[in-house]
Amino acid sequence: MSNKKILIVDDDPDVRHGMHVRLKANHYDTFFAADALTSMTEARKHEPDLIILDLGLPAGDGFVVMERLKAFASLAVIPVIVVSARDVRANRERALKAGAKAFLQKPVDDAELLAVIRQALGEPAQREEPEVYDLGSI
Amino acid sequence: MKEKALQVLLVEDNAGDARLLREMFSKERPDSFELTHLLRMSEAEIHLAKGEVDIVLLDMGLPDGHGLDTVRRAHAVAPGVPMIVLTGLDDEALAAEAMKEGAQDYLIKGQIENRALPRALRHAIERHRMQTETDLIRTHAMQFKDEFLSHVSHELRSPLTAVRQFVTILLDSLAGELNLEQREYLEIVLRNVNQLRSMINDLFEVTGVQAGKLSIELQCTSVSDAIAYTVSTLQGTAKVKGITLSSDIECRLPSVCADPTRVRQILLILVDNAIKFTPANGAVNVQARVLEENPNLLVLEVSDSGCGISPDMTERIFERLFQASDPALAGRKGLGLGLYICKELVTRQGGQICAKSAPGRGAVFSVTLPVFSLPNLIGPAFRKERRAEGPITLVVTEIRSRTGWLSNEVRTEQSHGVRDILQRCLYSDVDVLLPKMGSAGASELFFIVAITDGIGGKAITKRIREQLDDCEHFQQAGLTLSTSYRSLEAIKRNASESMETFLEKVANKIQELMNEEISSRMVRNEQ
Repeated sequence: MSNKKILIVDDDPDVRHGMHVRLKANHYDTFFAADALTSMTEARKHEPDLIILDLGLPAGDGFVVMERLKAFASLAVIPVIVVSARDVRANRERALKAGAKAFLQKPVDDAELLAVIRQALGEPAQREEPEVYDLGSI
Repeated sequence: MKEKALQVLLVEDNAGDARLLREMFSKERPDSFELTHLLRMSEAEIHLAKGEVDIVLLDMGLPDGHGLDTVRRAHAVAPGVPMIVLTGLDDEALAAEAMKEGAQDYLIKGQIENRALPRALRHAIERHRMQTETDLIRTHAMQFKDEFLSHVSHELRSPLTAVRQFVTILLDSLAGELNLEQREYLEIVLRNVNQLRSMINDLFEVTGVQAGKLSIELQCTSVSDAIAYTVSTLQGTAKVKGITLSSDIECRLPSVCADPTRVRQILLILVDNAIKFTPANGAVNVQARVLEENPNLLVLEVSDSGCGISPDMTERIFERLFQASDPALAGRKGLGLGLYICKELVTRQGGQICAKSAPGRGAVFSVTLPVFSLPNLIGPAFRKERRAEGPITLVVTEIRSRTGWLSNEVRTEQSHGVRDILQRCLYSDVDVLLPKMGSAGASELFFIVAITDGIGGKAITKRIREQLDDCEHFQQAGLTLSTSYRSLEAIKRNASESMETFLEKVANKIQELMNEEISSRMVRNEQ
């Protein structure tokens, strides 16, 4: 079975790099875009199985990207997971309404990100979710 | 420059008083004031609503309005218009009350000196203008602060994301095996990253506190679990400082009605603080017991052998941005938000927090939380309803995920939404929406106890379904919702039985029914 393809849209090159390493280790193929425009061309070129989307982007934010994805039948079905540093209260509801499968707050917990990816891709959840020492998210 | 005449509205039913006031105005330049005189409050309301009045002179005894009521009504129609109330000689106390309600000034009839009236009007208008301006500046400042916090936290979170990602990548050996020393150092980095992250979250939590937007989901919560979690989470930190961290939990400790993540958050803040202020070789202890004086309350105590708090500070430490005056004691400073957030969390869950200490002899932080009790929850409804011994209906609403997995994220987010909807669907004022009583695998369950007959159950479920169907949001999030109900046979109350014993009996029956619902779903979800 070939690997699932994930498009990572984030304007921070270090964040893209970090996600790439983590996703590659979990047998996903990754593609990248750093702004709203490129994210559309990359999405059309690769037709990924999933998109990880930052909200604050140059040339139109993540909401604009979600809006544009809906305009293409082949892209509208791709699950989107929003990973953003923006305020949860102001943006989560809006992101979910715009069609995102989940909203994760940066700095994101890799275990949570992987679990949400598996859920969005309809893959079986890992039997044991690691209990992560995590003062921040509580 | 010629100024526009001030539009004065005089509301006064006494012809003599009105004439006196008119005369005072007549001595002014004719183009400086324009007086409209009305006799009734109802007329005044209509006139004020037009928005042309600069100031109101209001008598507090009108045929269709009296006392503070007139002030409130005028204020309600025209909140931006300054007001001076007119009172009799014996009404000065009432006039003072009127000022609290928003009146700018009061004048005592028969004691208004010549020419004092126009001056009073001008002053009132000026004072009102200054007050409005101050309010506006304050609002802008608050807005700016919120935007600033949001911006700062955004900008801090982005680089922290990359740091955390790569540290965990290294720790998970994705870039090769680590030796013990390397691992130890990276764990220190991660600990500090998490500390930074929680500080940034604190910044946000505080804006939430001030806006009254803390999310809290009450449920049956085990305090022992929260203590065990806290102790194991912070054991490492304590060990590094050479501090003994222990806990004493009374056996058969009842659960509390609280949000488990919030209880953990409270304990983490308190224990973390205790460790911070306790020198090496000291001890920090967490205790939990039922309060002797009030068995409906459970008390959590975090005590330390640290530097203590001077008596005049035991209240102030819960203030926002409070910091220990001697930073050497605290080691690294925090933001001074922890205890403030802690206090908010405790009070929002119906508890209280206080600190007791003597300098140099350690400190004890006590938190009370209400004991979870089903009889207490349903009690008021049963006491209210005359037909309390009639049949009871248990309504169950279930959120399920299509993929068979619910992330914590989705759980908390959606359950608030569903809870709001259910609250609106309650059939009568004696129906009780229970706090979270359990979940079954990939589903979240909500229970309503309705003290009505089966028809009531049918009506509620119908209403809930209609409301939920209208919510596209849940479908978009890949969730399905279902609602069902079960009727419980009437439980007879013996003549000799106390209300408490009866409630206990009913609660047991309801609990039994809920357990059946939960376990039947567990079986189904596992298949």
